[in-house]
Amino acid sequence: MLRALFITFALGLAVTNNSAHAQVLKVAGPWEVTGIDPAQTGYVFSRLQVAETLVTADPEGKLIPALAERWSVSEDALTWRFTLRDKARFHDGTPVTAQTAAASLKRALSGVGVLSQAPVAEIVSEGRDVVIRLEKPFSALPAYLVHFSTIILAPSSFDASGKVRQIVGSGPYKVTSLTPPAKLELKDSGTWWGGKPGIAEVSYLAVGQGETRALMAESGETDLVFSMLPVSVDRLKENPGLDVKIATIPRTRILKVNAASVFFDDIEERQALSYAIDRVGITKVILRNPELAATQIFPPALKGWYASDLPPLSRDVARAKELLAEAGWTPGSDGVLEQDGKRFSVTLLTYSSWPELPPIATALQAQLREVGIEIKVSVGNSSEIPARHGDGTLEIGLVSRLYSIVPDPVGTLLQDYGPGGSDWGAMGWDNQEIQGLVAKLAVTTNPAERAPLQRRAVEILQQELPSIPVTWSELAIVSSKRITGVQVDPLEVNYGLAAIRWAK
Amino acid sequence: MRNFLVARLMQAGIVAMVVGALCFLLMRVLPGDAAMRIAAGRYGPDARIAEAADKVRLELGLDRPVLLQFLEWLGGLLRLDLGHSLVTGAPVVDELQVQLGASVWLAASALLISLLIGPVIGVFSGMKPGGITDRTGLAGAVVFRAIPPFVLGLILMFILSKQLGWLPPAGFGSPREIVLPALTLALGLAAMSSRVTRNSVAAVARTPYFAFARHKGLPEAIVVRRHGIRNAAIPVVSYLGLQAVYLVEGVVVVESLFAYPGIGHALVHAIVERDIPMVQGTALVMGLMFVAIAALVDAISLWLDPRFGRAA
Amino acid sequence: MSTIDNVSPARGRARLSGSCASGAALLFLLAAFALLGPVLIPADPAAQDFSASLAPIGGDYALGADHYGRSLLARLAHGARLSFGLAFLTMLAAAVPGVLLGLAAAWRGGWTERLLELLATVVLALPGLMLVLLLLAFSPGNYGPLFLGLSLTLWVEFYRVTRAATKTVLAQPHIEAARMLGFGSGYILRNCVLPVIAPTIATLAAFAMATAIIAVSTLSAISVGLQPPTPELGSMIVELLPYYAEAPVHVLLPAMLIFLLVLGLQLVAEGDRA
Repeated sequence: MLRALFITFALGLAVTNNSAHAQVLKVAGPWEVTGIDPAQTGYVFSRLQVAETLVTADPEGKLIPALAERWSVSEDALTWRFTLRDKARFHDGTPVTAQTAAASLKRALSGVGVLSQAPVAEIVSEGRDVVIRLEKPFSALPAYLVHFSTIILAPSSFDASGKVRQIVGSGPYKVTSLTPPAKLELKDSGTWWGGKPGIAEVSYLAVGQGETRALMAESGETDLVFSMLPVSVDRLKENPGLDVKIATIPRTRILKVNAASVFFDDIEERQALSYAIDRVGITKVILRNPELAATQIFPPALKGWYASDLPPLSRDVARAKELLAEAGWTPGSDGVLEQDGKRFSVTLLTYSSWPELPPIATALQAQLREVGIEIKVSVGNSSEIPARHGDGTLEIGLVSRLYSIVPDPVGTLLQDYGPGGSDWGAMGWDNQEIQGLVAKLAVTTNPAERAPLQRRAVEILQQELPSIPVTWSELAIVSSKRITGVQVDPLEVNYGLAAIRWAK
Repeated sequence: MRNFLVARLMQAGIVAMVVGALCFLLMRVLPGDAAMRIAAGRYGPDARIAEAADKVRLELGLDRPVLLQFLEWLGGLLRLDLGHSLVTGAPVVDELQVQLGASVWLAASALLISLLIGPVIGVFSGMKPGGITDRTGLAGAVVFRAIPPFVLGLILMFILSKQLGWLPPAGFGSPREIVLPALTLALGLAAMSSRVTRNSVAAVARTPYFAFARHKGLPEAIVVRRHGIRNAAIPVVSYLGLQAVYLVEGVVVVESLFAYPGIGHALVHAIVERDIPMVQGTALVMGLMFVAIAALVDAISLWLDPRFGRAA
Repeated sequence: MSTIDNVSPARGRARLSGSCASGAALLFLLAAFALLGPVLIPADPAAQDFSASLAPIGGDYALGADHYGRSLLARLAHGARLSFGLAFLTMLAAAVPGVLLGLAAAWRGGWTERLLELLATVVLALPGLMLVLLLLAFSPGNYGPLFLGLSLTLWVEFYRVTRAATKTVLAQPHIEAARMLGFGSGYILRNCVLPVIAPTIATLAAFAMATAIIAVSTLSAISVGLQPPTPELGSMIVELLPYYAEAPVHVLLPAMLIFLLVLGLQLVAEGDRA
């Protein structure tokens, strides 16, 4: 009886609601809206095309105009000039002026976003131009202006104290309601310089659990779902009602090792570690795509940074054992290596912000045990890696590193392999040559001049292994056949919702 | 009645103070750098957390004396101001309104569904211990108790959303979307309450006065209504009161499975990210809600069995 | 107590004692599996073999292998020992103080009761999840804080139910009479109070063990449980969950063990009376 009652109830609900939501494009993704400051969740508003940056990137990573229709740099490479579009309007109807854009950028400069890492002297507005003066030449500056923390917001977004109160951007969609942390509702803004979006209303739901996202696509409740779990991709591909699109993204899971510790100070030890890893196995079993095995630090999709002729990182357990023996480690009674009475037993720190990291750590634990390295896995909060990097107690960490925080990987390399290393990069490893190369890259714009420098940098990283690449990453997007025009943006700058239309 | 209210208000005050102070203290003595946690919570794992943490430390004045910070929180509390979240920057009150509000709805729905299932099965099982109903009830209770809620939720989602297409797998805001998470919680809850009810009914059924009523020749239904339910209900009400609290606190995995923005999810984040005002605010409001629920449970027990008041 | 015998139908009683025996047998088998399994099964529960990823049941691996190709039989045995042990300890650490304090409150009344009520209220008013998470933050991935945190939240349940039920019993006229007639408190406890509260406590205890196991799995679902590669029934479910479409039985195997444990406990708890 109860069951019958419940079913009637459920059916009734199902019937009343099915017709109502046909007009809204339903989108689901893993990112929550925690706070609306651009430095925190600007990516949500940038990806969903609520707010725009001056410059953006196409799927190949080439910089293309967004709010700025063109840009140029002075002879001395110290003054950049970004000319804004005439027609650009904010959602509150006010025009996007150079003054408001400069104000947004100044705010970004003083905050924690990437812009604060560029050598910017001042930002001013001149007519329709935003002018950025530098302390020293910096060729990657336009790439920095693609970052979500530099989105341009209308003055009405801020309260008297300068805090962001609401997001009033200039994109094709405006926010109609935001229920942090999970729900965002958008509507055609009617003010976009690029025309009208194909679908007027969008509803975004933050769904943290990958299994749920897959079921949302399969149940037909959601039209577009981002970031599918590797295990569900094959199943979704077989579903006749769904389209699956996959792109390699410039994100590499690496082992960050403390090269100052007794365990990893020799190059042989780091190489041995690399030889001990079964990358193909890990990618087959956990990521379900053996092509993601990281044979070097950057994936092939990152043009100019992938060197196809470098000897690939691969598995060779015998070689690993040999190298460890050369470095002075001998097997103890329980098979764990020892040197001067010290056991090769280290704690591998990782975090669960990326759901695949703990499983990869578990696999690495078993593989390294085979060459006599004992690993204790500790799954904590992502802040523990920088914290333990800071106080020097980190031994080894498994991290997921994004090389397109700005579309030019130089931005990330500058941080990661500069003097003293960084939170997510080298630790206890200083290499003058790579520092020189990266510094040179930062001021060079000509691709022909850059190519040999990039190649040499990758070579050094491959030889010295200050961090050990484990796997590359991909992004899987599932869309219902009800819609067309879905694109995948490997840089995850903009998901191009405005170009999506209902299929006929 | 007035005494009852005054006592409850005093209790609420004490609970609020103790809970607030305890949370503050516990969050303070946790190992690790709070600024780092907050920075990671705000800017995500791709950011330069160490540098962001320096700015956070300055912005929030985390280096000030602990006592001063606690007194500030107390002062705010007297003005009914719970402060701002350290991570999102929004007023704690606003966040609680959304998340606690969502959780209360979910909890109420789950409790309602479980009340339709659990005690009913329990009464029938308890009337004839060892009968078919009792055995089926036992099997059902054990199954729903042994399956972790996220597995149960996934199974329900798989059947009701993917195979049958009746309900949306996740989301919130409409009654349709609350059914699945509420049902998931309700089944686990009903599993427990049906057995507690069953035992308590069985115990009452064995008492001399109940047997006497039966011997008197009263029809079974009347016996149960007059003598059984009231007495059997006391432990059940007491038990359900407890469960209501567990529910409000939110079965965090059920919330994250169904993308439901409840307080459990928020609390886990707040603790991990060392968002002290948010933790304090949440604990405080939940503590007060608990006092209210406990008062309600006592009032109901009193009404069910007036001797309760005399003994207390 | 003769009235009670008259009331309960004889048939049901016979069957129930049967179910009590089967419950005990089930518990015995589970205990044997948890205690002897790890000793007798030679496979290392942490040894991986990617070529056997998600191996089916009944092949080279008796109960199949998980996604890393680890023997599920070995993991289940080790997991059962850890989970059941942890759950049993947690239940004991919650039930003993809970019941004793509940009896004390109901029996003594007055200030004892008021103080205990306040303590219980404060503990209850503190979100249980928060208590566990905070304790775990002190030493992540360890059993100690996990165990302590769970017992700290679970004892109140025993306390409250015991107190409420005991008060109902004590308020009954014939017991009040017995107390006034000068029967010793031990006598009244043994003969009047315990028989009434025992089944409820037994049920609570059975469910508390389940709650403890489920709580650990819940914590590993939010990545704050035990650290890999520890085989623990709840976290095994969490680990295998993404593979539910390919290997549903693998996911349900650990859940099955939890089910059998709860069933056995429940049969024993409910069977030894009526």
